[in-house]
Amino acid sequence: MSECDLMRESMPLLLSESLDPARRELSHQHIEQCAACNREWLAYRETWRMMGDLPEVEVPARVRERFLASIPTVDEVVVPFRKRPAARWLAQAAAVVLLVGGSYWIGHRGAAVRLQPTPATINAVAPYSIAESRVLPARSVSPNIEGRPDIQNVSFNDPNPNDSEIGLSFDITSHVTVTGKPTDKSMVRLMRYVLENEDRMSPNRSRAIDWVRATYSQPGNADPEIAEALGNVLRNDEHQGVRIKAAETLNRMPGAMAFETRAALIQALKSDPNPSVRLKAIEALTSLARSGVTLDPAAVDMLRQKASQDDENLYVRVKAAEALSNIHP
Amino acid sequence: MKPPRRLLAWAVRNLSKMFPSKSTEKREMKHLSDQELMRLVQAGDFSPASEIYDRYSSRIYNFAYRFLRNSEAAEDATQEVFVKMLKHANQFHGDAKLSTWLFSITANWCRDYLRKADNRAKDSEDVLVTLPAPSEFSPDRTLEQRENQLRIQKALTALTPEQREAILLSRYQGLSYAEIAQISGCSEGAVKTRVFRAMETLKKALAGERGGDRCLNAI
Repeated sequence: MSECDLMRESMPLLLSESLDPARRELSHQHIEQCAACNREWLAYRETWRMMGDLPEVEVPARVRERFLASIPTVDEVVVPFRKRPAARWLAQAAAVVLLVGGSYWIGHRGAAVRLQPTPATINAVAPYSIAESRVLPARSVSPNIEGRPDIQNVSFNDPNPNDSEIGLSFDITSHVTVTGKPTDKSMVRLMRYVLENEDRMSPNRSRAIDWVRATYSQPGNADPEIAEALGNVLRNDEHQGVRIKAAETLNRMPGAMAFETRAALIQALKSDPNPSVRLKAIEALTSLARSGVTLDPAAVDMLRQKASQDDENLYVRVKAAEALSNIHP
Repeated sequence: MKPPRRLLAWAVRNLSKMFPSKSTEKREMKHLSDQELMRLVQAGDFSPASEIYDRYSSRIYNFAYRFLRNSEAAEDATQEVFVKMLKHANQFHGDAKLSTWLFSITANWCRDYLRKADNRAKDSEDVLVTLPAPSEFSPDRTLEQRENQLRIQKALTALTPEQREAILLSRYQGLSYAEIAQISGCSEGAVKTRVFRAMETLKKALAGERGGDRCLNAI
């Protein structure tokens, strides 16, 4: 390929100013010296300029309206379920049968193995706090730092300048899995901690609420501490989607709502800026009344106020009126 | 007094549609980057949808319109691209540019559209019928511009879809060859060739219409 051919191929890049300065300079030098390339360049430049005459077309307003009307709700956004091929199941089942059968056959070929009884020793379980702050002497830490631990908030200190030792402090995160029944106090506290402290921008908070809804709305699992944590989310979270989820979840655990939680619902009904949150708060209060709990007078007053408030959203007014008619038929 | 049952049923049916945008929220959204808005969407909060739409709908619509030469299809493309953006938000990686991802979805949609034989048959009918008349120029200049627009649109139809996609993204959207390669699913070298060939075809078509080198030499 000649230099002129290469030059022509680079002309669109030259026009879109995508060439690096050195190549741009070389290209312009060549164009100035080569009459054929100069003609080509002028033609390219004119074509490029003419293309600029094609104006931007305005998007019709109806497209925006159609799009905003079609925004899916969170529940509609689901990961499609894919059925696993049957052949894979069969292969797995066959592998298990072979493994078990093979082990049994091997185990029964010779004499039975007899194990000598040995005394069992069980070490006492040391209590382990996940929030523990420990001071470790350097000699007890392996010099081989493996696993690339995530070390954060590093600070250097020298607690005693008179001795020869220095200190290095940091937070280190390791993956911890805590297992237990949903009703275990540690599990409840951990769940509460996640609900109330997870970074506001993190999807974990939303996922935590989904998990709480699936687990703690089961009969026997509802816990006042979880309900209180959801009440705090309802009060404090800045994202309407999260607040809606919190109110929905409370709706499913009426038996666990203590005074503070009920107060959070009343507060949401009174002043949450999003009408969908206010609607969900009404639903949760209705569910509470249906469960046999006598609603606090403040809740009934708030429902009455909302049902008759002229500047309130129509749906909220209707829902509040419906709730009142259900509470006092 | 009990509200009418029909009104109640209607209200309950439409609960999920009641997410009115607050002006304060809207103002705050304007300050967020594309990546921050997408993180909210990925967390299940669709309130940034209108802000993202306002940022990119014009570019998406114009690309689809010039590519398909059909305003109705461009409208459908624009709407579906943003719906897909919400539904598949988790496929967006924060290290990529949102514009590149959106153009990938748009280009896929347009290619699928052109693959359908029915669409290919009617795709050249809707040529710039909605172009605004530029009022700041003299009548002669306006007429010349109109003629140029029709010539360019006609010349663009002479390109292969791959060449058209590459030149539209390069000339009108200002994307780099690396970004175009990502959108088109090909190498940067292939993009370079497509743009070069597209420019060759357009140059010949436009110069021919204007009387060839006579015009060009007069610049």
